[in-house]
Amino acid sequence: MAETLRYVGEIMPFLLQGTLIMIELFVLTLLFSLPLGLPVTLGSTCRFKVVRFICKCFIWIFRGTPLLLQLFFFFYMLPIISNGAISLGPFPTAVIVFVLNYAAYFAEIYRGGMNSIDSGQYEAAHSLGLNKHQTMMGIIVPQTFRVVLPPVTNEAIVLIKDTALVSCIGVGDLMRNSKGFVSRDVNLTAYIIAAAIYLIFTYLMTRLSAYLEKRVSEYDSKGEW
Amino acid sequence: MPTILEMKNIVKEYPTITALSDVDFKVDEGETVAIIGPSGSGKSTLLRCINCLTRITSGTITLDGKTFVDSKPGDAINSNHEAAYLPDKQLLEICCETGMVFQHFNLFPHMTCLGNITYAPIKVKKRPKEEAEKRGMELLELVGLADKAAEYPGRLSGGQKQRIAIARGLAMDPRIMLFDEPTSALDPEITGEVLAVMKELAREKTTMVVVTHEMGFAKEVADRVVFMDHGSVVEEGTAEEIYDHPQSERLNDFLGSLLQS
Repeated sequence: MAETLRYVGEIMPFLLQGTLIMIELFVLTLLFSLPLGLPVTLGSTCRFKVVRFICKCFIWIFRGTPLLLQLFFFFYMLPIISNGAISLGPFPTAVIVFVLNYAAYFAEIYRGGMNSIDSGQYEAAHSLGLNKHQTMMGIIVPQTFRVVLPPVTNEAIVLIKDTALVSCIGVGDLMRNSKGFVSRDVNLTAYIIAAAIYLIFTYLMTRLSAYLEKRVSEYDSKGEW
Repeated sequence: MPTILEMKNIVKEYPTITALSDVDFKVDEGETVAIIGPSGSGKSTLLRCINCLTRITSGTITLDGKTFVDSKPGDAINSNHEAAYLPDKQLLEICCETGMVFQHFNLFPHMTCLGNITYAPIKVKKRPKEEAEKRGMELLELVGLADKAAEYPGRLSGGQKQRIAIARGLAMDPRIMLFDEPTSALDPEITGEVLAVMKELAREKTTMVVVTHEMGFAKEVADRVVFMDHGSVVEEGTAEEIYDHPQSERLNDFLGSLLQS
Protein backbone atom coordinates (compact mmCIF):
# COMPACT_ATOMS: atom_id res chain seq x y z
CA MET A 1 0.00 0.00 0.00
CA ALA A 2 2.69 2.41 1.07
CA GLU A 3 4.60 1.35 -2.01
CA THR A 4 1.68 2.23 -4.27
CA LEU A 5 1.20 5.59 -2.60
CA ARG A 6 4.89 6.39 -3.02
CA TYR A 7 4.63 5.43 -6.70
CA VAL A 8 1.55 7.60 -7.21
CA GLY A 9 3.32 10.47 -5.48
CA GLU A 10 6.22 10.04 -7.86
CA ILE A 11 4.24 10.07 -11.11
CA MET A 12 1.49 12.49 -10.08
CA PRO A 13 3.35 15.77 -10.82
CA PHE A 14 3.98 14.61 -14.39
CA LEU A 15 0.39 13.54 -14.89
CA LEU A 16 -0.86 16.88 -13.57
CA GLN A 17 1.53 18.64 -15.90
CA GLY A 18 -0.05 16.66 -18.75
CA THR A 19 -3.49 17.59 -17.46
CA LEU A 20 -2.51 21.24 -17.65
CA ILE A 21 -1.53 20.79 -21.31
CA MET A 22 -4.88 19.10 -21.93
CA ILE A 23 -6.76 22.00 -20.36
CA GLU A 24 -4.78 24.55 -22.35
CA LEU A 25 -5.54 22.75 -25.59
CA PHE A 26 -9.20 22.40 -24.63
CA VAL A 27 -9.63 26.08 -23.77
CA LEU A 28 -7.72 27.40 -26.78
CA THR A 29 -9.65 25.15 -29.15
CA LEU A 30 -13.04 26.26 -27.88
CA LEU A 31 -11.95 29.88 -27.65
CA PHE A 32 -11.18 30.04 -31.37
CA SER A 33 -13.33 27.35 -32.95
CA LEU A 34 -16.66 28.43 -31.43
CA PRO A 35 -16.57 31.88 -33.05
CA LEU A 36 -14.85 30.62 -36.20
CA GLY A 37 -17.72 28.20 -36.85
CA LEU A 38 -20.17 31.08 -37.34
CA PRO A 39 -18.58 32.74 -40.41
CA VAL A 40 -18.08 29.27 -41.89
CA THR A 41 -21.81 28.52 -41.47
CA LEU A 42 -22.88 31.86 -42.87
CA GLY A 43 -20.38 31.40 -45.68
CA SER A 44 -21.72 27.97 -46.57
CA THR A 45 -25.17 29.49 -47.13
CA CYS A 46 -23.87 32.69 -48.68
CA ARG A 47 -25.24 33.82 -52.04
CA PHE A 48 -21.74 34.13 -53.53
CA LYS A 49 -20.88 30.83 -55.13
CA VAL A 50 -17.13 31.02 -54.52
CA VAL A 51 -17.52 31.70 -50.79
CA ARG A 52 -20.07 28.93 -50.51
CA PHE A 53 -17.78 26.52 -52.31
CA ILE A 54 -14.78 27.33 -50.13
CA CYS A 55 -16.73 26.99 -46.89
CA LYS A 56 -18.33 23.72 -47.94
CA CYS A 57 -14.95 22.30 -49.00
CA PHE A 58 -13.48 23.34 -45.68
CA ILE A 59 -16.23 21.53 -43.79
CA TRP A 60 -16.03 18.54 -46.09
CA ILE A 61 -12.28 18.08 -45.64
CA PHE A 62 -12.03 18.70 -41.91
CA ARG A 63 -15.09 16.70 -41.04
CA GLY A 64 -14.39 13.99 -43.57
CA THR A 65 -10.86 12.98 -42.58
CA PRO A 66 -9.59 11.58 -39.28
CA LEU A 67 -8.41 14.14 -36.78
CA LEU A 68 -5.31 12.00 -36.23
CA LEU A 69 -4.47 12.19 -39.94
CA GLN A 70 -4.90 15.96 -39.87
CA LEU A 71 -2.49 16.16 -36.93
CA PHE A 72 0.14 14.08 -38.74
CA PHE A 73 -0.38 16.00 -41.95
CA PHE A 74 0.16 19.41 -40.45
CA PHE A 75 2.98 18.21 -38.23
CA TYR A 76 5.04 16.32 -40.82
CA MET A 77 3.86 17.54 -44.20
CA LEU A 78 4.12 21.27 -43.63
CA PRO A 79 7.90 21.18 -43.03
CA ILE A 80 8.34 18.76 -45.95
CA ILE A 81 6.36 20.66 -48.59
CA SER A 82 7.76 24.00 -47.46
CA ASN A 83 11.32 22.69 -47.44
CA GLY A 84 11.60 23.29 -43.72
CA ALA A 85 10.45 26.90 -43.97
CA ILE A 86 7.24 26.26 -42.04
CA SER A 87 7.76 24.21 -38.93
CA LEU A 88 5.52 24.71 -35.96
CA GLY A 89 6.11 23.00 -32.67
CA PRO A 90 3.84 20.12 -31.68
CA PHE A 91 1.60 22.19 -29.43
CA PRO A 92 0.88 25.07 -31.87
CA THR A 93 0.23 22.50 -34.59
CA ALA A 94 -2.21 20.72 -32.30
CA VAL A 95 -4.04 23.96 -31.49
CA ILE A 96 -4.36 24.96 -35.15
CA VAL A 97 -5.58 21.54 -36.25
CA PHE A 98 -8.06 21.27 -33.40
CA VAL A 99 -9.42 24.76 -34.02
CA LEU A 100 -9.96 24.08 -37.73
CA ASN A 101 -11.44 20.63 -37.13
CA TYR A 102 -13.83 21.76 -34.44
CA ALA A 103 -14.81 24.90 -36.34
CA ALA A 104 -15.98 22.60 -39.14
CA TYR A 105 -18.10 20.59 -36.71
CA PHE A 106 -19.49 23.67 -35.01
CA ALA A 107 -20.32 25.19 -38.39
CA GLU A 108 -22.48 22.18 -39.19
CA ILE A 109 -24.12 22.29 -35.77
CA TYR A 110 -24.89 26.00 -36.25
CA ARG A 111 -26.30 25.30 -39.69
CA GLY A 112 -28.60 22.64 -38.30
CA GLY A 113 -29.64 25.04 -35.56
CA MET A 114 -30.44 27.80 -38.02
CA ASN A 115 -32.46 25.42 -40.19
CA SER A 116 -34.55 24.53 -37.17
CA ILE A 117 -35.67 28.15 -36.74
CA ASP A 118 -39.25 28.49 -37.94
CA SER A 119 -39.63 30.23 -41.30
CA GLY A 120 -42.21 32.48 -39.63
CA GLN A 121 -39.34 34.22 -37.86
CA TYR A 122 -37.80 35.22 -41.20
CA GLU A 123 -41.22 36.32 -42.44
CA ALA A 124 -41.88 38.42 -39.36
CA ALA A 125 -38.44 40.03 -39.70
CA HIS A 126 -39.07 40.75 -43.36
CA SER A 127 -42.50 42.23 -42.66
CA LEU A 128 -40.88 44.63 -40.19
CA GLY A 129 -38.40 45.78 -42.81
CA LEU A 130 -35.31 44.19 -41.25
CA ASN A 131 -32.57 43.54 -43.78
CA LYS A 132 -30.69 40.25 -44.07
CA HIS A 133 -27.92 41.27 -41.68
CA GLN A 134 -30.33 42.55 -39.02
CA THR A 135 -32.46 39.42 -39.38
CA MET A 136 -29.46 37.14 -38.95
CA MET A 137 -27.74 38.95 -36.11
CA GLY A 138 -30.82 40.12 -34.22
CA ILE A 139 -33.32 37.32 -34.76
CA ILE A 140 -31.86 34.09 -36.09
CA VAL A 141 -28.42 33.78 -34.47
CA PRO A 142 -29.59 34.51 -30.90
CA GLN A 143 -32.27 31.85 -31.20
CA THR A 144 -29.83 29.44 -32.81
CA PHE A 145 -27.58 29.87 -29.79
CA ARG A 146 -30.17 28.26 -27.57
CA VAL A 147 -30.92 25.45 -29.98
CA VAL A 148 -27.28 24.52 -30.49
CA LEU A 149 -26.24 24.64 -26.87
CA PRO A 150 -26.81 20.92 -26.19
CA PRO A 151 -24.94 19.65 -29.29
CA VAL A 152 -22.14 22.17 -28.71
CA THR A 153 -21.56 21.10 -25.12
CA ASN A 154 -21.69 17.52 -26.33
CA GLU A 155 -18.89 18.31 -28.78
CA ALA A 156 -16.95 19.93 -25.96
CA ILE A 157 -17.11 16.65 -24.05
CA VAL A 158 -15.86 14.80 -27.12
CA LEU A 159 -13.09 17.38 -27.37
CA ILE A 160 -11.81 16.54 -23.87
CA LYS A 161 -11.22 12.99 -25.00
CA ASP A 162 -9.95 13.96 -28.45
CA THR A 163 -7.10 15.92 -26.87
CA ALA A 164 -5.48 12.54 -26.14
CA LEU A 165 -4.70 12.27 -29.87
CA VAL A 166 -2.02 14.95 -29.65
CA SER A 167 0.21 12.50 -27.77
CA CYS A 168 0.90 11.00 -31.22
CA ILE A 169 2.74 14.11 -32.42
CA GLY A 170 4.74 14.39 -29.25
CA VAL A 171 2.74 16.84 -27.16
CA GLY A 172 3.32 15.96 -23.52
CA ASP A 173 -0.33 15.77 -22.55
CA LEU A 174 -1.98 13.58 -19.94
CA MET A 175 -2.21 10.63 -22.34
CA ARG A 176 1.43 10.72 -23.41
CA ASN A 177 2.77 11.14 -19.89
CA SER A 178 0.69 8.31 -18.48
CA LYS A 179 1.66 6.05 -21.39
CA GLY A 180 5.30 6.81 -20.63
CA PHE A 181 4.98 5.52 -17.09
CA VAL A 182 3.01 2.44 -18.12
CA SER A 183 5.69 1.46 -20.65
CA ARG A 184 8.58 2.22 -18.31
CA ASP A 185 7.22 0.54 -15.18
CA VAL A 186 4.95 -2.12 -16.72
CA ASN A 187 2.31 -0.87 -14.27
CA LEU A 188 -1.21 0.26 -15.20
CA THR A 189 -1.61 2.70 -12.29
CA ALA A 190 -0.87 5.73 -14.50
CA TYR A 191 -3.67 4.76 -16.88
CA ILE A 192 -6.12 4.40 -14.02
CA ILE A 193 -5.24 7.84 -12.71
CA ALA A 194 -5.46 9.33 -16.22
CA ALA A 195 -8.88 7.75 -16.74
CA ALA A 196 -10.03 9.23 -13.44
CA ILE A 197 -8.81 12.67 -14.47
CA TYR A 198 -10.57 12.46 -17.86
CA LEU A 199 -13.74 11.35 -16.09
CA ILE A 200 -13.58 14.26 -13.67
CA PHE A 201 -13.33 16.71 -16.54
CA THR A 202 -16.10 15.17 -18.63
CA TYR A 203 -18.27 15.11 -15.52
CA LEU A 204 -17.60 18.81 -14.84
CA MET A 205 -18.42 19.57 -18.47
CA THR A 206 -21.70 17.67 -18.21
CA ARG A 207 -22.66 19.66 -15.15
CA LEU A 208 -21.70 22.93 -16.81
CA SER A 209 -23.79 22.08 -19.84
CA ALA A 210 -26.81 21.23 -17.68
CA TYR A 211 -26.38 24.56 -15.89
CA LEU A 212 -26.13 26.54 -19.14
CA GLU A 213 -29.18 24.83 -20.61
CA LYS A 214 -31.15 25.70 -17.53
CA ARG A 215 -30.01 29.32 -17.69
CA VAL A 216 -31.02 29.92 -21.29
CA SER A 217 -34.38 28.25 -20.87
CA GLU A 218 -35.33 30.46 -17.95
CA TYR A 219 -37.45 32.72 -20.07
CA ASP A 220 -39.74 29.99 -21.25
CA SER A 221 -41.70 28.34 -18.55
CA LYS A 222 -43.70 25.97 -20.67
CA GLY A 223 -40.82 24.30 -22.43
CA GLU A 224 -41.72 26.04 -25.63
CA TRP A 225 -40.93 29.48 -27.01
CA MET B 1 -60.35 58.85 -49.88
CA PRO B 2 -57.02 58.38 -51.66
CA THR B 3 -56.01 54.91 -52.71
CA ILE B 4 -53.22 53.39 -50.60
CA LEU B 5 -52.86 50.06 -52.28
CA GLU B 6 -53.52 49.17 -55.87
CA MET B 7 -52.93 45.70 -57.28
CA LYS B 8 -53.67 45.11 -60.95
CA ASN B 9 -53.78 41.92 -63.03
CA ILE B 10 -52.00 39.95 -60.31
CA VAL B 11 -50.97 36.47 -61.42
CA LYS B 12 -49.13 34.11 -59.12
CA GLU B 13 -48.06 30.82 -60.61
CA TYR B 14 -46.26 28.04 -58.85
CA PRO B 15 -44.58 25.33 -60.91
CA THR B 16 -47.65 23.11 -60.63
CA ILE B 17 -50.58 25.37 -59.75
CA THR B 18 -51.87 28.87 -60.31
CA ALA B 19 -52.60 30.52 -56.98
CA LEU B 20 -53.85 33.86 -58.30
CA SER B 21 -55.19 34.43 -61.77
CA ASP B 22 -55.66 38.02 -62.85
CA VAL B 23 -56.75 39.56 -59.56
CA ASP B 24 -57.45 43.26 -59.14
CA PHE B 25 -57.51 44.61 -55.61
CA LYS B 26 -57.65 48.11 -54.24
CA VAL B 27 -57.66 49.58 -50.76
CA ASP B 28 -58.48 53.17 -49.87
CA GLU B 29 -57.08 55.04 -46.91
CA GLY B 30 -58.91 54.35 -43.66
CA GLU B 31 -60.76 51.41 -45.12
CA THR B 32 -61.15 47.99 -43.51
CA VAL B 33 -61.33 45.23 -46.08
CA ALA B 34 -62.10 41.64 -45.20
CA ILE B 35 -61.04 38.87 -47.56
CA ILE B 36 -63.02 35.67 -47.22
CA GLY B 37 -63.08 32.41 -49.10
CA PRO B 38 -62.47 28.69 -48.78
CA SER B 39 -58.97 27.45 -47.98
CA GLY B 40 -56.78 27.34 -51.04
CA SER B 41 -58.70 30.18 -52.65
CA GLY B 42 -55.61 32.41 -52.75
CA LYS B 43 -56.64 34.92 -50.10
CA SER B 44 -53.53 34.49 -47.95
CA THR B 45 -51.35 34.51 -51.05
CA LEU B 46 -52.89 37.80 -52.12
CA LEU B 47 -52.19 39.28 -48.69
CA ARG B 48 -48.59 38.05 -48.72
CA CYS B 49 -48.04 39.63 -52.13
CA ILE B 50 -48.76 43.04 -50.62
CA ASN B 51 -45.59 43.01 -48.51
CA CYS B 52 -43.53 40.83 -50.88
CA LEU B 53 -43.46 37.73 -48.68
CA THR B 54 -44.68 36.08 -51.84
CA ARG B 55 -43.45 37.37 -55.19
CA ILE B 56 -45.97 37.57 -58.01
CA THR B 57 -45.51 36.20 -61.52
CA SER B 58 -46.96 39.21 -63.27
CA GLY B 59 -49.01 42.29 -62.55
CA THR B 60 -48.59 45.70 -60.95
CA ILE B 61 -48.51 46.55 -57.26
CA THR B 62 -48.49 50.15 -56.09
CA LEU B 63 -48.25 50.87 -52.40
CA ASP B 64 -48.58 54.42 -51.14
CA GLY B 65 -47.81 55.78 -54.62
CA LYS B 66 -44.71 53.63 -55.10
CA THR B 67 -44.83 50.88 -57.71
CA PHE B 68 -42.46 48.12 -56.71
CA VAL B 69 -43.36 45.56 -59.31
CA ASP B 70 -44.75 46.13 -62.79
CA SER B 71 -44.49 43.15 -65.01
CA LYS B 72 -46.36 41.66 -67.96
CA PRO B 73 -47.33 38.02 -68.39
CA GLY B 74 -44.36 36.01 -69.61
CA ASP B 75 -41.82 38.36 -68.08
CA ALA B 76 -40.95 36.11 -65.15
CA ILE B 77 -37.23 36.20 -64.49
CA ASN B 78 -36.55 32.92 -62.73
CA SER B 79 -37.60 29.30 -62.48
CA ASN B 80 -39.88 30.13 -59.54
CA HIS B 81 -42.05 32.14 -61.93
CA GLU B 82 -41.29 35.42 -60.20
CA ALA B 83 -41.46 38.85 -61.76
CA ALA B 84 -38.66 41.40 -61.56
CA TYR B 85 -38.92 43.52 -58.41
CA LEU B 86 -37.17 46.66 -57.27
CA PRO B 87 -33.77 46.03 -55.61
CA ASP B 88 -34.00 44.58 -52.08
CA LYS B 89 -33.11 47.78 -50.30
CA GLN B 90 -35.84 49.90 -51.87
CA LEU B 91 -38.24 47.02 -51.59
CA LEU B 92 -37.68 46.72 -47.83
CA GLU B 93 -38.32 50.43 -47.40
CA ILE B 94 -41.65 50.11 -49.16
CA CYS B 95 -42.53 46.93 -47.26
CA CYS B 96 -42.04 48.87 -44.03
CA GLU B 97 -45.21 50.74 -44.96
CA THR B 98 -47.12 47.58 -44.18
CA GLY B 99 -47.51 45.88 -40.82
CA MET B 100 -48.27 42.20 -40.79
CA VAL B 101 -49.99 40.02 -38.21
CA PHE B 102 -49.59 36.29 -38.75
CA GLN B 103 -51.80 33.36 -37.91
CA HIS B 104 -49.08 31.88 -35.69
CA PHE B 105 -47.97 35.21 -34.17
CA ASN B 106 -44.27 34.74 -35.08
CA LEU B 107 -43.14 36.78 -32.11
CA PHE B 108 -39.42 36.80 -31.40
CA PRO B 109 -39.18 34.38 -28.45
CA HIS B 110 -35.79 35.61 -27.22
CA MET B 111 -37.00 39.18 -26.71
CA THR B 112 -39.38 40.61 -24.15
CA CYS B 113 -42.74 41.88 -25.36
CA LEU B 114 -41.44 45.44 -25.33
CA GLY B 115 -38.28 44.26 -27.10
CA ASN B 116 -40.40 42.66 -29.81
CA ILE B 117 -42.15 45.96 -30.39
CA THR B 118 -39.14 48.28 -30.28
CA TYR B 119 -36.56 46.21 -32.16
CA ALA B 120 -37.59 47.18 -35.69
CA PRO B 121 -38.23 50.89 -34.97
CA ILE B 122 -34.77 51.15 -33.39
CA LYS B 123 -32.92 49.15 -36.05
CA VAL B 124 -34.83 50.08 -39.20
CA LYS B 125 -36.18 53.54 -38.48
CA LYS B 126 -33.17 54.46 -36.32
CA ARG B 127 -35.36 55.84 -33.57
CA PRO B 128 -33.70 56.60 -30.23
CA LYS B 129 -34.27 53.80 -27.71
CA GLU B 130 -36.17 55.97 -25.22
CA GLU B 131 -38.53 57.26 -27.88
CA ALA B 132 -39.16 53.76 -29.25
CA GLU B 133 -39.84 52.43 -25.77
CA LYS B 134 -42.19 55.28 -24.96
CA ARG B 135 -44.14 54.57 -28.12
CA GLY B 136 -43.93 50.84 -27.37
CA MET B 137 -45.52 51.35 -23.98
CA GLU B 138 -48.33 53.39 -25.57
CA LEU B 139 -49.00 50.53 -27.95
CA LEU B 140 -48.94 47.99 -25.13
CA GLU B 141 -51.46 50.22 -23.38
CA LEU B 142 -53.58 50.21 -26.53
CA VAL B 143 -53.69 46.41 -26.68
CA GLY B 144 -54.20 46.22 -22.92
CA LEU B 145 -50.94 44.49 -22.07
CA ALA B 146 -48.81 47.20 -20.49
CA ASP B 147 -48.15 44.91 -17.52
CA LYS B 148 -46.50 42.34 -19.81
CA ALA B 149 -43.79 44.67 -21.14
CA ALA B 150 -40.94 42.77 -19.49
CA GLU B 151 -42.45 39.32 -20.01
CA TYR B 152 -41.22 36.89 -22.66
CA PRO B 153 -43.77 35.73 -25.27
CA GLY B 154 -43.39 32.12 -24.13
CA ARG B 155 -45.29 32.95 -20.97
CA LEU B 156 -48.28 34.54 -22.69
CA SER B 157 -51.55 33.04 -23.85
CA GLY B 158 -52.32 32.89 -27.57
CA GLY B 159 -54.62 35.87 -27.42
CA GLN B 160 -52.02 37.92 -25.58
CA LYS B 161 -49.34 36.90 -28.08
CA GLN B 162 -51.49 38.03 -30.97
CA ARG B 163 -52.17 41.38 -29.31
CA ILE B 164 -48.41 41.86 -28.85
CA ALA B 165 -47.98 40.97 -32.52
CA ILE B 166 -50.49 43.67 -33.46
CA ALA B 167 -48.62 46.20 -31.33
CA ARG B 168 -45.36 45.15 -32.99
CA GLY B 169 -46.84 45.75 -36.42
CA LEU B 170 -48.23 49.13 -35.43
CA ALA B 171 -44.89 50.26 -33.98
CA MET B 172 -43.50 50.85 -37.46
CA ASP B 173 -46.35 53.31 -38.13
CA PRO B 174 -47.42 51.45 -41.27
CA ARG B 175 -49.81 52.96 -43.78
CA ILE B 176 -51.67 49.68 -43.92
CA MET B 177 -52.05 46.73 -41.55
CA LEU B 178 -52.33 43.21 -42.92
CA PHE B 179 -53.90 40.41 -40.89
CA ASP B 180 -53.50 36.82 -42.04
CA GLU B 181 -56.18 34.81 -40.25
CA PRO B 182 -55.25 36.43 -36.92
CA THR B 183 -57.67 34.38 -34.83
CA SER B 184 -57.52 31.00 -36.58
CA ALA B 185 -54.90 29.57 -34.22
CA LEU B 186 -56.73 30.73 -31.10
CA ASP B 187 -59.20 28.98 -28.87
CA PRO B 188 -62.72 30.24 -29.64
CA GLU B 189 -63.16 31.85 -26.24
CA ILE B 190 -60.13 34.10 -26.60
CA THR B 191 -60.62 35.31 -30.17
CA GLY B 192 -62.74 38.09 -28.71
CA GLU B 193 -59.85 39.94 -27.09
CA VAL B 194 -57.95 40.04 -30.39
CA LEU B 195 -61.01 41.08 -32.39
CA ALA B 196 -61.70 43.83 -29.85
CA VAL B 197 -58.28 45.35 -30.54
CA MET B 198 -58.87 45.13 -34.28
CA LYS B 199 -62.28 46.76 -33.93
CA GLU B 200 -60.64 49.57 -31.99
CA LEU B 201 -58.15 50.03 -34.84
CA ALA B 202 -60.97 50.07 -37.38
CA ARG B 203 -62.71 52.73 -35.33
CA GLU B 204 -59.54 54.82 -35.43
CA LYS B 205 -59.62 54.52 -39.24
CA THR B 206 -56.51 52.39 -39.51
CA THR B 207 -56.28 50.99 -43.01
CA MET B 208 -56.61 47.25 -42.68
CA VAL B 209 -56.80 44.17 -44.87
CA VAL B 210 -57.99 41.16 -42.94
CA VAL B 211 -58.06 37.60 -44.17
CA THR B 212 -60.60 36.05 -41.85
CA HIS B 213 -63.19 33.42 -41.16
CA GLU B 214 -64.87 35.54 -38.51
CA MET B 215 -68.18 36.41 -40.09
CA GLY B 216 -69.25 38.47 -37.10
CA PHE B 217 -66.15 40.60 -37.27
CA ALA B 218 -66.46 41.11 -41.02
CA LYS B 219 -70.11 42.08 -40.69
CA GLU B 220 -69.45 44.51 -37.89
CA VAL B 221 -66.35 46.39 -39.00
CA ALA B 222 -65.50 45.66 -42.62
CA ASP B 223 -66.27 48.51 -45.00
CA ARG B 224 -65.91 46.06 -47.82
CA VAL B 225 -65.83 42.28 -48.08
CA VAL B 226 -64.03 40.48 -50.89
CA PHE B 227 -64.91 36.87 -51.65
CA MET B 228 -62.22 34.83 -53.38
CA ASP B 229 -62.33 31.36 -54.84
CA HIS B 230 -59.90 29.43 -57.04
CA GLY B 231 -57.47 32.32 -57.24
CA SER B 232 -59.93 34.99 -58.38
CA VAL B 233 -62.13 37.59 -56.80
CA VAL B 234 -65.62 36.26 -57.32
CA GLU B 235 -67.63 38.92 -55.59
CA GLU B 236 -67.10 42.04 -53.54
CA GLY B 237 -69.29 44.52 -51.78
CA THR B 238 -70.43 45.67 -48.38
CA ALA B 239 -70.76 43.07 -45.66
CA GLU B 240 -74.50 43.18 -46.06
CA GLU B 241 -74.33 42.61 -49.81
CA ILE B 242 -71.95 39.70 -49.43
CA TYR B 243 -73.49 37.93 -46.49
CA ASP B 244 -77.15 38.67 -46.93
CA HIS B 245 -77.50 38.94 -50.69
CA PRO B 246 -74.88 36.71 -52.31
CA GLN B 247 -75.08 36.90 -56.09
CA SER B 248 -72.99 33.96 -57.18
CA GLU B 249 -73.55 30.29 -56.58
CA ARG B 250 -70.02 29.81 -55.27
CA LEU B 251 -70.46 32.43 -52.56
CA ASN B 252 -73.79 30.90 -51.68
CA ASP B 253 -72.18 27.48 -51.32
CA PHE B 254 -69.36 28.90 -49.23
CA LEU B 255 -71.70 30.73 -46.85
CA GLY B 256 -73.74 27.57 -46.58
CA SER B 257 -70.68 25.57 -45.59
CA LEU B 258 -69.79 28.20 -42.98
CA LEU B 259 -73.18 27.90 -41.37
CA GLN B 260 -73.00 24.14 -41.27
CA SER B 261 -69.70 24.04 -39.42
